[in-house]
Amino acid sequence: MKSHRKKTLGIILFIAAGLSVAIGLSLYALSSNIDLFYTPTQVAAGEVTPGQRIRVGGMVKEGSVKHSEEQLQVNFITTDYAHDVDVQYSGILPDLFREGQGIVAEGSMTPEGQFVASRVLAKHDENYMSVEVKAAMDAAERQRVMGQIQEQGQSQGNYQ
Amino acid sequence: MPTLQFSSLSEFVQMGTYSFHVWVVYLLFVLFVGYNLILPGVQRKQFIRQQKRRVARDAELATQAASRQGLNNRSAE
Amino acid sequence: MWVWFAKLGSPRWFYELSGKWLPWLYAAMTLLMLVGLTWALLFVPEDYQQGHTIRIMYVHVPVASISLACFPLMAVAGAITLVWKMKLADMVAKCVAPIGLWFTGLALATGAIWGQPIWGTWWAWDARLTSMLIQFFLFVGVIALRSAIESTDAAAKACAVLAIVGAINVPIIKYSVEWWNTLHQPASSISFDSAAPNPPEVWVPLLIMIGAVYLLFIISLILRTRNEILIRERRSQWVTDLITRSQS
Repeated sequence: MKSHRKKTLGIILFIAAGLSVAIGLSLYALSSNIDLFYTPTQVAAGEVTPGQRIRVGGMVKEGSVKHSEEQLQVNFITTDYAHDVDVQYSGILPDLFREGQGIVAEGSMTPEGQFVASRVLAKHDENYMSVEVKAAMDAAERQRVMGQIQEQGQSQGNYQ
Repeated sequence: MPTLQFSSLSEFVQMGTYSFHVWVVYLLFVLFVGYNLILPGVQRKQFIRQQKRRVARDAELATQAASRQGLNNRSAE
Repeated sequence: MWVWFAKLGSPRWFYELSGKWLPWLYAAMTLLMLVGLTWALLFVPEDYQQGHTIRIMYVHVPVASISLACFPLMAVAGAITLVWKMKLADMVAKCVAPIGLWFTGLALATGAIWGQPIWGTWWAWDARLTSMLIQFFLFVGVIALRSAIESTDAAAKACAVLAIVGAINVPIIKYSVEWWNTLHQPASSISFDSAAPNPPEVWVPLLIMIGAVYLLFIISLILRTRNEILIRERRSQWVTDLITRSQS
């Protein structure tokens, strides 16, 4: 093999090795911290130290959103239906922010256990459908729940 | 069956409140399609033109060389 | 079989055959593109959460999913180059890289434009978005590596190795939304029921657009590869004949 060929081959191997090491290292570094957010259960379990900048992801609890009248401040509870996190935020909310919506809040915990967010992002699921289909599905769900309640009422009635 | 979602042109342009986002994405897509289809054609034309020029120049150089060769031969006689 | 394989590796044979395919591919792409774009823009129902931004999906998803096909294709072509030294395989590998770069770039850009109103941010260091950004830089790396090495053969080998190594990123991109808690939602499962989430009204036009963009990718790759064949074989008799015969 000619010497200049050896040199180019050396360069190639160096670049290939360097790139694979860089990718490997960055993936390793990410693997410990790649989860975008903590769940309220993880927060409740004490996985988060106060003051540390983190993200918390969960659903906006129904009936928990309180807008303050003077400023853009908003208080709400985010939940994974096992544990709750009380969130305080002042700023512009994304279009999708509403009760029952998945959100990711960025900020830190206060020692008192409140989460002060500097940014709130909306997370949506992978289900796409029209307003009509959603309404029909909700109506069917309501009917199913109503049916269950009536059935329970009847069976209780039988006992009496 | 799919039904038309807009009753007027202005409604179509407005896209609810998302006219900017939807139309920028579709504009980028059209530019992207055009770029992918047109660029290789342009490069092909450039290459062919360049090759033709090279062939013509080579031919000219060859005739020049031949005529010079002829002159040299004559002067040597 | 081996005759066929050796023939396929012949650039001239590929040039002539692909010339016959191109008109059909163009026709199919134009048809699918017109149907897909009209359907996506005019007939897809407004989403119950996202409103009309759902129309962005019909550009974003096809472009992003086809960008994921580029690295595996480049890795396979690279492996063929390394093992059989087939000239055509390296030409294809070279031409995939810039196309993949543009597809990845457009996927990132359309995703950002979609995320800005819906998520409330155009960028997050989320596993899906980050791994896609890594793919973007891997394409930049492959292109830079090719231009850095003068010898065509050495460049072919180096890029083949990098393509095979870089292809590891593709399953990471694909499954990132399942392995980690990400802002990006997981892949949707389709339904044949019109009264369920992800009904045919939503995914049939998406399938058409995926087909259209796939054809765009194939056409673009063929066009670039044909140019590359002409450039590398410019000293051969058939290319010289082709150039003297051409009009422009």
